[in-house]
Amino acid sequence: MSYFRITLHRSAIGLPQRTRAVLAALGLHKRSQTVYHPVEAQFAGMIMKVKELVKVQEVDKKLTKWEVQAERRPDSGFYLEKMAPRMEDEGQKMGGRVLARLRGEPEESKVVEGLTRENGGEVRI
Amino acid sequence: MFGAFRATNSLSGGLLWKIPWRLSPTQKYRQRQRLKAVDDVVETLSTALAKKGETLKSLERWKDEMPTEAEMLAKDKYTIFDRKEKRYRKGIHKLPKWTRVSQRLNPPGY
Repeated sequence: MSYFRITLHRSAIGLPQRTRAVLAALGLHKRSQTVYHPVEAQFAGMIMKVKELVKVQEVDKKLTKWEVQAERRPDSGFYLEKMAPRMEDEGQKMGGRVLARLRGEPEESKVVEGLTRENGGEVRI
Repeated sequence: MFGAFRATNSLSGGLLWKIPWRLSPTQKYRQRQRLKAVDDVVETLSTALAKKGETLKSLERWKDEMPTEAEMLAKDKYTIFDRKEKRYRKGIHKLPKWTRVSQRLNPPGY
């Protein structure tokens, strides 16, 4: 079974009451809203009344409101990357190395040297 | 002559809307796109109904009487008959709601 996929493209503000009533009968209440109606002469006649305001396609399947929204949603522009799984012991080694580097003397000694230069020989920690 | 307090028609006379006497090339382009969009809708409806073997009086009448965008003369796309106008023609943008109504035919001979 095929359907008319009808999207309200132009607003009916300021148009005659009959035109607006036809849109309401089709179930179109705001712009960019999409409705589906079966391919029948009565619906074709209603579309003819508002042909300047709508975009029409013939489709095989009805989409739900959420599927129509998902079509319109733009690409998020980013994706989430997951951490690659590691071996247990290798992970410990890596962690151990990082901890050692954090605890290691050389970086602390640099800080101390900087302090001594600034304070003219006195070391305050 | 210049500046914020210059005497222009709209400042000295209050409300003044000026509608240019002719359409700009961009307006004419968009008018063509709108005409084509309506042609597309009619085409979609007629093919869909033809598949089911149904007919529709209003659709048949439109296809018989109304020219498509390609068949229309430039004169009919962008201007409209008006009996009060010099040479009986004025720009189609003088027609109220002109972007949302179909106005394709004019009296023969004008």
